[in-house]
Amino acid sequence: MSNSHIFLKSGFITTPSQNGVGRYVCQLQRVVLKFCKNHGSSRGMRDFIESGLVDFAKNNPGIVVYLKPRRHRTAVISAEFLNGDKQWINCRNFTKEEITKWLSLLRTQSGDKTGFRLRKLLHTDHPSIQGPWTPYTFKDPSENLVKYPNKELSQSKKLEKTATEQLIELFNRSNLENKRTD
Amino acid sequence: MVFTTAINFVRSRGPDEFWRKRKIFKLAAAFLGRRRNCYSIAIRNVHRALVYATKGRKLKKMDFANLWQTRITAGCEQHDIDYSVFRESLVRSNILLNRKTLADLACWEPFTFKALTEVAQKRAVDEGITVVKDRGIVAVHKRGSQKKN
Repeated sequence: MSNSHIFLKSGFITTPSQNGVGRYVCQLQRVVLKFCKNHGSSRGMRDFIESGLVDFAKNNPGIVVYLKPRRHRTAVISAEFLNGDKQWINCRNFTKEEITKWLSLLRTQSGDKTGFRLRKLLHTDHPSIQGPWTPYTFKDPSENLVKYPNKELSQSKKLEKTATEQLIELFNRSNLENKRTD
Repeated sequence: MVFTTAINFVRSRGPDEFWRKRKIFKLAAAFLGRRRNCYSIAIRNVHRALVYATKGRKLKKMDFANLWQTRITAGCEQHDIDYSVFRESLVRSNILLNRKTLADLACWEPFTFKALTEVAQKRAVDEGITVVKDRGIVAVHKRGSQKKN
């Protein structure tokens, strides 16, 4: 579907203050894992907490991880970013691998991108290395010093032979033939 | 008194009408006037919008291909080579660049594009690729057996 009429926010890919060019700062500030201690839909979350959570916390010292056991509620990951965005992901009946994947997505995001349409999937600050094309790229610089009106440059581009030239050619050819026969 | 028969005269077509119509109104959110508020008008316009979207997917590709082709042709003209000769020669030189990249090169890397035109010219001269004017196609005039006398 075309996107111009949709009320989605749209923009180009950006990083907050050139993150990664010099220093990389993880944009995920804190992550809250809510789960039920008893219900089956939180099983994956509970498995993740048992197995993968400590490694995740160790590998990402900049991310604060909170655990909130909440009875009779589905498992949820709630994330807050440095730019103030909040995002929550319902983890009902997720496996621990899925939860790991979603956490790694949150870790690498710079904010909540769910309601955001990317206009281009690329971004460069330097789209051209040789310099973009201008009308002067392949023009001889001596043309700057030409004084107009200039007879040579004012001539039309000759794409085909004119009728006069064709007639002259025919005449010359017939002359030559006549000379040969003579 | 309890009137049990009166209820039978109510013509309800089902409990899900609200959500059925809401699906349409969501798609019609950006329309003008009654087209976004009145169901029977909205549904007609939503159907048309969906048809346009379907047709537009193909048109978008065609439009962009045309735009790129125009840009490549402009670049080729500056370097005195025909577009179809250029593309055929590049293919024969095993340079399989599509219109998008060629157009990007022509706009942003003009010297690379010039080099490509030169490669194409050489290949065109070698293989005898020219344009047949009346038909407008690339015709290959293969040279006869090169007799060394």
